[in-house]
Amino acid sequence: MSETATPEVHPGTIQEKKEESESSLEPGYLVICWNDPVNYMDYVTHVFQTVFGWPRKKAEFHMLQVHEQGKSVLTRESLEKAEHYVHQLQKYTLHATMERDE
Amino acid sequence: MKITRTANKLVFHLGKRDKQFFLEVLKLYPRMPSAHQRLSKTAPVPDEKSNQHQQLLDEALAEQRAENKKLLDELLADSDRFKETETGARLSLLAGDVEWLLQVLNDIRVGSWVRLGSPEPKLEFAELNHLTAPDYWAMELSGYFQVHLLRALGGKS
Repeated sequence: MSETATPEVHPGTIQEKKEESESSLEPGYLVICWNDPVNYMDYVTHVFQTVFGWPRKKAEFHMLQVHEQGKSVLTRESLEKAEHYVHQLQKYTLHATMERDE
Repeated sequence: MKITRTANKLVFHLGKRDKQFFLEVLKLYPRMPSAHQRLSKTAPVPDEKSNQHQQLLDEALAEQRAENKKLLDELLADSDRFKETETGARLSLLAGDVEWLLQVLNDIRVGSWVRLGSPEPKLEFAELNHLTAPDYWAMELSGYFQVHLLRALGGKS
């Protein structure tokens, strides 16, 4: 396990609070692909590459996660983008949904 | 079935039996029951909006299937791209054709599986009878053409 550095705090200095980016404050939606026994592994890999533009290795990683763990979180997006990706995946008849990231 | 690749297209050389099976199985498109695919397993947006979002998805998928059906009919009617030969048929696919044809074949495959009752992990041989055989046949046959198409694209199925 790698070590984590502890920030030094000096008396009399004010620590600037790092502003969180706007996107991290928005509610996020997870795009999830679920396992089923009917979609071929190579087909799922091909769809991930096509829809997300991923290289084959990344697409295979997520395909294997779906196959072995029952599901894979593919991306976290805004509501509109998550809906777009679910639509793209369902066009290929993959079992994909979007769930709110609590 | 033999597939050759040229600079800008894939050419399927279908024997007589493959040609017949190909045309028969494509007649089943679209196969997925309408409104079967869900946007979410939970309700990601408030209830009143949730139905609206689901309806938009259903409409988008229905439009996509209508467009794919149109493209399929055009492909099979185009004698330059689907040409009957003495040994069967020759099907020429441009890059843009591959994606929608994969969608069509998988719709038939998954739709047939849904009609079989979505069996997990797969249909037992004992459950194969005169009622389930047509869907089982469509599922396997669309998968057969899908695998050949993926192989031609460089997959390892």
